[in-house]
Amino acid sequence: MVTKVLCVAEKSSVAKAVAGHLSGGRFTTRNTSNKYIRNYDFDYRFSQWDHCQVTMTAVQGHTEEIDFIDRYRKWSDCDPADLFDAQITKNIDKSKQSIADNIQKEAKKARVLFIWTDCDREGEYIGTEVRAFARRGNASIEVKRAQFSNIERTHVIRAANNPKDLDERQAMAVAARMELDLRIGAALTRFQSLKLQGRYGLAPDALISYGSCQFPTLGFVVDRYMRVKNFVPETFWYLKLLHTRDQNTTTFNWDRSRLFDRMAVVLLFESCMAGGTALVKAVARKPSKKYKPLPLTTVELQKQGSRFLGMNSQRVMKAAEALYTSGFISYPRTETDQYDQNINLQALIGKQKDDTGNWGWGQYAQNLLDGEFDQPRRGKHNDKAHPPIHPVAYVTSPALPDADQRKVYEFVVRHFLACCSKDAIGETTTVNIDYGGEGFHASGLTVIERNYLDVYPWDRWESSQMLPRYQEGERFTPNEVTMQDGKTTAPGYLTEPELIALMDANGIGTDATMAEHIEKIQQREYVFSMQKNAAAGTSSRGTGRGRGRGGRTASASSRGATSSGGNNIFVPSNLGVALVEAYDLIASDMSLGKPFLRKEMEVNMKRICNGELSKEAVVHQSLEQYREVYAKVSLRLDQFRQTCARYMQSNTGQ
Amino acid sequence: MSVPLAVQISSHILSSKSILPSQAWLTTFLSTQKPNLPFQSLCQTALYRLLASEITASVQPTPENTIPANIHDSQKSLLKGPIVVQIADVEDIGHSKLSQLEALESAERGEKTKGKEVIRVVPGEAEDTDPDNLGLAGVGGPHKLLLEDAKGTRFYGIEVKAIKDISIGMNIGSKIVLKDVTAIRGVLMLEPGNTTLVGGKVEELHKKWREERKGKLKAAIEAMKEDD
Repeated sequence: MVTKVLCVAEKSSVAKAVAGHLSGGRFTTRNTSNKYIRNYDFDYRFSQWDHCQVTMTAVQGHTEEIDFIDRYRKWSDCDPADLFDAQITKNIDKSKQSIADNIQKEAKKARVLFIWTDCDREGEYIGTEVRAFARRGNASIEVKRAQFSNIERTHVIRAANNPKDLDERQAMAVAARMELDLRIGAALTRFQSLKLQGRYGLAPDALISYGSCQFPTLGFVVDRYMRVKNFVPETFWYLKLLHTRDQNTTTFNWDRSRLFDRMAVVLLFESCMAGGTALVKAVARKPSKKYKPLPLTTVELQKQGSRFLGMNSQRVMKAAEALYTSGFISYPRTETDQYDQNINLQALIGKQKDDTGNWGWGQYAQNLLDGEFDQPRRGKHNDKAHPPIHPVAYVTSPALPDADQRKVYEFVVRHFLACCSKDAIGETTTVNIDYGGEGFHASGLTVIERNYLDVYPWDRWESSQMLPRYQEGERFTPNEVTMQDGKTTAPGYLTEPELIALMDANGIGTDATMAEHIEKIQQREYVFSMQKNAAAGTSSRGTGRGRGRGGRTASASSRGATSSGGNNIFVPSNLGVALVEAYDLIASDMSLGKPFLRKEMEVNMKRICNGELSKEAVVHQSLEQYREVYAKVSLRLDQFRQTCARYMQSNTGQ
Repeated sequence: MSVPLAVQISSHILSSKSILPSQAWLTTFLSTQKPNLPFQSLCQTALYRLLASEITASVQPTPENTIPANIHDSQKSLLKGPIVVQIADVEDIGHSKLSQLEALESAERGEKTKGKEVIRVVPGEAEDTDPDNLGLAGVGGPHKLLLEDAKGTRFYGIEVKAIKDISIGMNIGSKIVLKDVTAIRGVLMLEPGNTTLVGGKVEELHKKWREERKGKLKAAIEAMKEDD
């Protein structure tokens, strides 16, 4: 008798692509009672199960959601603090019941459930949901999981023939995170909202949402904003020495760079002026390199997307997801910045070599194959699930549906080719001189081989003006030595690449969720994204309701006109500043505007994955910490409100 | 014993540390000590107390060990010394006041930045290299020192080349011996070759300095605001 296998992917586009690869394009399509989900039937010979009848279907991400049981759902019915312990239940969203039913029904006929959700923590958890639905239909169904990181044909076929097991620990980590997000989020959202509604210009039903990632993210924006706002320019003084030789005037910079004390600089200036001639202490010629980029991770893709492609992280990820689903690039959610020994880089480069002037890198790829290839650098991270983001298939530019996908594909390929290239090579010359006891230096760069720079236009490394020849030990008379002054300049408001870097360094969110958190704090109107120039020079801050964002709708699509650019800066609203300052003041080191509590939670998630901690222990520990903050803030409610008032009313009063 | 004890101790400290204690101070000191203590330990205690007391009280001024009164008259002069001074104030002139204030405030909150990462510092942990929470880690001058000699005269010194142990975290009131120092317009040019940190700390001065540092930084920054 032929074995029946039920395959379930995380989204229908993946189901269709995998079905296409395994069946060689010969599958029949059945509709289900959910209009987004189709079942694809075909035959396939698995090496482990032999000849099988396969049904491939999908879910749409999470099917179930967790929520409090009914009696805690109404805000008026309980104290928000009760939510730290309130009983929780799992529900299936009405619109998704048909998805669960479909799996239950199909599982009845199947001997094996083969799970094809994305290979990350979230995917592992979704896999356990799928398993639960399938077991409702067939309690004894065998459960396997496909391990894959891109939807390229040979990769999919290899995954199909090497089934693994679900990783229960990763699923537990997600379960812990979901429970914590629900309890902490609900308790603090209700608390904040109830205590501030109807005050300081807030609507009587204002929803002031709290999220344990959103708030530290907001905290970074507020922190920078306060530093810009509190900035006071300070005068500094420095010395500069000019010397003309061979018609070239070289500027020698002061080794001390600058000092903030005028008297000290005047004295050093006078003292060195008494010295007469300058002595060349050292002339150093050093080979220098501009390193090619590290293999591409999600965080880097998001940062560079913003910096180089002018797209915000949400848009970058959306385009990358689409490219992945179409089988052009590998899975775009990865922390890994080192290539596995087994990966065939030459073959991947080979797929790009026939590009003929479409993108413009065909010849470059060919040259790599002809001997210019160099092993990619190895970063320090390996998530053990996915390789760095790389192209898996060639596609021409007109074949891609939109400009965003074209930009991201071009970036991924060029980045990949750059990784497989040699570093750029140059030579720096540094001349160190002593003038009356004070050190000065000048340096120049000559680029000798551009190498990877030829395929990676986003990195700049140019030869500088040539330095005249100086001999060690020679003396010369400077043409001019002057004392100059300058002023310190304010830091800029936070940009998206900076914010992502801060979140990454402080363990706020995962590569998969950072972009969402950044979007969330904008939707909540805690933060506004503005054009760089719009913010410069004005002291304007969003008014907390709408200003600075033009006419955004409440649903706040991330493709809104003002938030989509990559080079925008973030400025907090009055409400955003008020909340962060209030928590900072009352809870100090446990402040919800600081990254510490969330970072600990994130570290504990990893420890669940490693088997060091149980889900229960982690949930308990985090809840206790947040409960403590909650208690502190409720005890000092007056102070909390006063702080909010200070920032909110400074705005409405004028 | 023909030479009085006070004189013996005095010449011992002078020869080992180039500091001449005042006889009056030594006499008072000796009156508080038990008789028949070994000479060595008596010397040690005397030095320790001397370093911990106000220079004007404990050091005997001489023309050699103090700053000449006419120092501001000459554009440049060489002071042979050894001159004994105590630290009255120390300022980091390599960093803006605002950046120093920010470092101080984040240290008070128990935070430290390591690259882009904000770290919560638990006092006493291995990572904690800044036990006084002054926000000093990584801040490194050069420094401008306000020095006071045995006559109570105050003048500035600039750390022209980095001197070990001169930092914002150093003890106020600690004693320094200077030899062959160049003075330009009355300001001493300090470097490792001419500056020896003998040590010590005047507790009240030190405490006061620490308490006032933040306020002084703030006031200086406020003043710059008004300049604008």
